Amino acid sequence: MMKGKNILSVLGLEIIYSFVIIVCSMMIYFGTKQLYELTSHKGIKYFRLGFLFFAIAYFFRSFIKFILFYFNVTKILDLSTNFIGTASLFLFMYFSSIAIFYLLYSVIWKKFKNEPVSLFFIHAAGFVIALVSILFRSPTVYLILNLVLFFSVSIIFYFAHKNHKKKKKGSGLYTTYLLLLVFWILNILDILVPSALQQFQLFIYLASIGVFLTLLYKVLKRVGGI
Amino acid sequence: MPKRGKLEIIKDILNIIQENHNSIRSTPLLRKSGLSSKSFYEYFQELLKKGLINTMQDSHDNKKVILTAKGKEYLEKYKTIVGFIDEFEL
Repeated sequence: MMKGKNILSVLGLEIIYSFVIIVCSMMIYFGTKQLYELTSHKGIKYFRLGFLFFAIAYFFRSFIKFILFYFNVTKILDLSTNFIGTASLFLFMYFSSIAIFYLLYSVIWKKFKNEPVSLFFIHAAGFVIALVSILFRSPTVYLILNLVLFFSVSIIFYFAHKNHKKKKKGSGLYTTYLLLLVFWILNILDILVPSALQQFQLFIYLASIGVFLTLLYKVLKRVGGI
Repeated sequence: MPKRGKLEIIKDILNIIQENHNSIRSTPLLRKSGLSSKSFYEYFQELLKKGLINTMQDSHDNKKVILTAKGKEYLEKYKTIVGFIDEFEL
């Protein structure tokens, strides 16, 4: 009975957490709809799509948590023979990767002349990362994969920010994006290697919500929602 | 004078139409826009396609360019658009 109660409270926390992030992401997506419709600006397009993919990824994240509880297992890898478990993990990894890549592409798209090729590489990279996640069932591989992803994306973000002509002093955009990346990767690790981060789970959730709320505030302030 | 960006050029074209009581022929619009004929034609087609401007015949059978509701909205939101793009370095 106690175990059932505990599961329900953990599941409740997961649902609230995912709900807040999904709502923030969708508010950013729909809040910038008018700006995109008026301008067809590609940076705005990729920025919006990045948050749409974040919402989809978080949906699959909470779905994975749900099936973990349903099958009474702690690790998604224990469900590797189960089609729902494998498919959910694949979709979660695919959408979470392309969300980060689209956000990154929104700040560097001007440097790439051939848009279809760039987008093909983004989706291909997302596909490969998702495939590696379901084929190699090793926490070490996940750790290396996420560290490579983290360092490569944060370095590109840093140089894009440094070279930006109209950089605003004190806007804190780079820091916010960096925090988004850090907590996003911790969220991925929380799904793939849950035992490693169990003690910090509440902190990760609260910090992730804080990052998304900060971004939502910045967007709404700019588009006139606040 | 710094080179104008695409969004600024669109704003300038729409502003010229608005300042002419929302009705101007394409030849003076081209002259006032400060663009080459080729660039102007490309922008003109894009603005028509996006629904920011429209064309109509006046009582003297002259073809005039007018702003649509979406074009007016673009002008109203221009500062917000530029501010947003700068804020997120898009």
